[in-house]
Amino acid sequence: MGLFDRFKKKSEPLYDSTDIRIKDLDVGFVFDYDLSNWEVQQAYEYDWGDNYFSDEYKISDGDKTLYLSVEDDDELTLSVSKKLKIKALGTAVLEQLMGSQKPPTSFEYEGERYVMEEESPGFFHDLANGKDDWEELISWTFTNENGEKLITIEQWDEKEFEASVGKYIKEFEISNILPATDR
Amino acid sequence: MGLFNRLFTIGKAEANAAVDKLEDPIKMTEQGIRDLKKDLDKSLQALAEVKAMAIRSKRDLSSAKSKGESYEQKAIMLIQKAEKGELEAAEADRLATEALTRKEEADAEAKRAQEEINRFDNNISNLDANVKKLKSTITRYENELRTLKARARVSKATEKINKQISGIDSSGTVSMLEKMKDKVEQQEAMSEAYGEISQENKSIDDEIDSVLDEKSANASSSLEALKAKLKNK
Repeated sequence: MGLFDRFKKKSEPLYDSTDIRIKDLDVGFVFDYDLSNWEVQQAYEYDWGDNYFSDEYKISDGDKTLYLSVEDDDELTLSVSKKLKIKALGTAVLEQLMGSQKPPTSFEYEGERYVMEEESPGFFHDLANGKDDWEELISWTFTNENGEKLITIEQWDEKEFEASVGKYIKEFEISNILPATDR
Repeated sequence: MGLFNRLFTIGKAEANAAVDKLEDPIKMTEQGIRDLKKDLDKSLQALAEVKAMAIRSKRDLSSAKSKGESYEQKAIMLIQKAEKGELEAAEADRLATEALTRKEEADAEAKRAQEEINRFDNNISNLDANVKKLKSTITRYENELRTLKARARVSKATEKINKQISGIDSSGTVSMLEKMKDKVEQQEAMSEAYGEISQENKSIDDEIDSVLDEKSANASSSLEALKAKLKNK
């Protein structure tokens, strides 16, 4: 049965070719967003515990490299962000991170106030790596006043922090999803 | 009974054939659509590949552009240094020329990348239009098939109901009810008949009784007569 299943998987794609969804995205897929074509270059998975996962894709349109995050918590939550130097958040944030291993509950960035929304410890996995290659992390999400923009701070090690800034997008903003060539 | 069974089997076979007639085209269409979707998938993948190539050319273009700009900047800085006397004029010229040659190379690369992008964009709009046509056709087929399947299911159900109502289906519920009705009616008729017979029996008994009563009456009267005879003696 297992062998048969494997054959079946190979001949029939896992997605519906007339209706490829964001949840089907994988490395090599191409889609339209913001009047540009984007290619998925890498795919990552986050495990937040309690059987709750989210996906992240490194995407490029040739000029920019962004990260598309896909959370499926009853409804799809999508955000597009770019990497940010942690020092761009200001020295106060950096000092608190290094000192107490925790960001402040709010801070200002580019003239806007961002407030902490959630703190989630979890595990990160690059799908290109082995199945059991998971890295531990803590992620803090901050949103601006109208909840349209977000900043994420991730802690990977005692002194290793990463940040990204982005915005929430609607599902329809991503269209024309094309599949990767069978490998 | 044998003949009846056979007739019944033939009827069943006919019904199945009718269903098959309806089912086979559905299965064939489903397979056809699956095949079409496989073709569509291949086209989608091809389009994705061309788009990915265009993205890569775009990346080449922007890196060639920034490379060219950076070499131009370097040439300018070299000449400025020579003007300030920080560098020998001949050496500055040599290095600046070298930098400008690199800039030309980068420009040529940018031009090639731009041409590639233009070519890809042309291909993409062509492919895109075709793929969209194919996609919408397949979607239309799929929707039509879905409707047809629903209609087939409805007509099958209707057929079943009508068959039972019309009583052709001898094993159906309606005919079972009919049979039961017959049986009950028969039973009722039977009990009525027994009732009639028992009434008839009663009348015979009565007759017998009445006859017997007559006899006993006769007997008692003759006894009286005998008694009277004896008295008279």
